[in-house]
Parts: sequence; structure tokens; C-alpha cells
Amino acid sequence: MSVEEQVKDIVSKIAHIDKEIMSRDSTFKEMKADSLDIVQALVAIEEQFDIEIPDEEAQKFRNFGDFVAFVEQEVAKKG
Amino acid sequence: MKPLEGKLALVTGSGRGIGKAIALKFASQGCDIIVNYFRRREAAEQTCEELKQFGVKTDIVKANVGDPDKINELFDTIAERHGHLDIFISNAASGVGRPIMEIDSKAWDWTLNINAKAMLLCSQRAAGLMEGRQGKIVSISSLGSTFVWPTYAAVGVSKAALEAVTRYLAIEFAPKGISVNAVSASAVATEALKFYMKEGLVKDMSSTTPVGRMVTPEDVANAVAFLVSDEAYMIRGQTIIVDGGTSIALVPPVTEKSENK
Repeated sequence: MSVEEQVKDIVSKIAHIDKEIMSRDSTFKEMKADSLDIVQALVAIEEQFDIEIPDEEAQKFRNFGDFVAFVEQEVAKKG
Repeated sequence: MKPLEGKLALVTGSGRGIGKAIALKFASQGCDIIVNYFRRREAAEQTCEELKQFGVKTDIVKANVGDPDKINELFDTIAERHGHLDIFISNAASGVGRPIMEIDSKAWDWTLNINAKAMLLCSQRAAGLMEGRQGKIVSISSLGSTFVWPTYAAVGVSKAALEAVTRYLAIEFAPKGISVNAVSASAVATEALKFYMKEGLVKDMSSTTPVGRMVTPEDVANAVAFLVSDEAYMIRGQTIIVDGGTSIALVPPVTEKSENK
């Protein structure tokens, strides 16, 4: 499963979002994910990939695509 | 000999803020420290570097104390690596700031689990490692347990529960030789709070604090250090307030700033 698919899986389960409506362009607001959903998703993704997503970085995510891109970048760094 | 020499303390959430200040205070008194963090390993490592300057031993264990399985992993690791514990500080906290009508079940559970349930579950495990060691447990609360701040309902309730758990533990653990107390502070000038002040979400409370400045993490650490000392032996199940007098000043003090308004 790709990193994007795994991230989608985690976020959809935590925030109870239908995966069908999740695209890279979707904002968290459009997906109806609240601040706690986002924090819990960050925690779950950090755990899953053994990476860190600083809050300062997370605040810069404009949409789901930015989120996925950051996770992909950190996973790639780990090799 | 330093007062805490030969002792081992676990401080949850000690990568930064109040937890870090407590860890540094203990280390300055000769205590070995287990630094616990949730998400920022770099901050925890930095804390350890600073602790080592006092010549104490340090260890780092990651754990989300809002998750009972992770609490068990944390204490299993401590048992395996150290086999005992003298001091446990329940400091790690989180919370959802929302008006009461917007607090849903998920926000409630998240806040209560990290802020209150963790104290119960961690203390149960800590007690097993403190047998015959005159253990000390201190929880970190806030004035929101008693007083009302906007959007603080979930955290305030969790802190009230934390203080109640502290009292019950104090009585049930007394025969085991373990003392349990809490330290409660008003808004503490941590990096997190400074960020919120900069964003305009929280006001600088210096002018409404009778002593004329905000509470610092070191002020809280000093009270915690007293509660784990032998001098505090007969203090059990109490919540010591560290707020520069804010909570008992019914009318905020008149300062030069407010006089000029």
C-alpha cells in the first residue's frame, strides 16, 4: 500500500471520513475534520511511520495533499 | 549529600515546559531522571543533555499516557531497565479548548484520559516499583479545576478529577509508605503560553497577579520539590496552589498599568 493510501486509511478511520471524498486538494475543513481529528491523525501517522511531524509544519498544511507530501518526504528520508 | 541523591524519578511530559523545569530541579538535587515524551524526541534529548550537567543519570522513554497500553509499556520498560522508582510526577497534559456545547465524546475522552486517567493508571504501576522505598507521587493540576475560564471546561473537569484521584490515592497509598499530592498553578509562562499570548489568544496576566508577575515553570518545580522532600512527610492528598495570590484576590490588584487606564 502506498504512503498516500496508508495516510488516507488512518485519517478516514480517525475522523470518520469517507475515503471517496478525500483527495489531495481537499482541505481538512471540507473533509469536516476538526482540530482533535488532525492531532489524533498526526499521532497515529507518526506512530505508523516512526517519523515526527512538528506542529509548526502541520500548521502549514493547506490541504490533504500537503499532509501526504510531508509524510512521503519524511518516509523517504528514512530510506 | 544532595537531598535526592540515589533517587530515581519519572516525570511525564518532561521534554519541555513545567515537566522540564521539574526534571531540572530534581537533577540539581542529585536525582536520576527518566524523561518521558509523547511526540518530540529532540526536545526530550535536549532535556537529557541539560540534566547531565548536574552529573545525574538519565533515560528517555516515549509514551502517550492517554493510552493504557502505552502506560503499561512505559512501566514495563522502567521495570526492566531500572527495577524500581522513587518519585513519579504526573505532569503530561493535553486538552481540547471548546465552549461546553461543542465538547463531544471524543474531545472529552481525549482530555480526561491524558489528564486524569493517566494519573490513576500510572500511579498503580508506579506503586509496584516503589515498594519499601517511601515513594512520592505529585500530580500537576491547574486552577481551572475550581474556577471557570472560557473554553476550558473539558480541561477544568479533567483537573478536578485529577485532584480527586490524588486525594484517594493519598489515603490508599499511605499504608504503603507512598505520599501523594498535587500542585496547581494559574497560567504558567511556558513557551506554549507565550505563543498563545503572541497570537492574542491569552492575555499577559502579570498585572492581575498580586505579586506582579506570572507564574514560571520554576515556581511550580519549587513546590513539587518541597512535596517530594522529607519535610513534607505529613502533607497528604493536598493540592498546593502556586499562583502568586491570583485565586484569592477577589478584585485584581491596582497596578501602575491599570491606574493609568
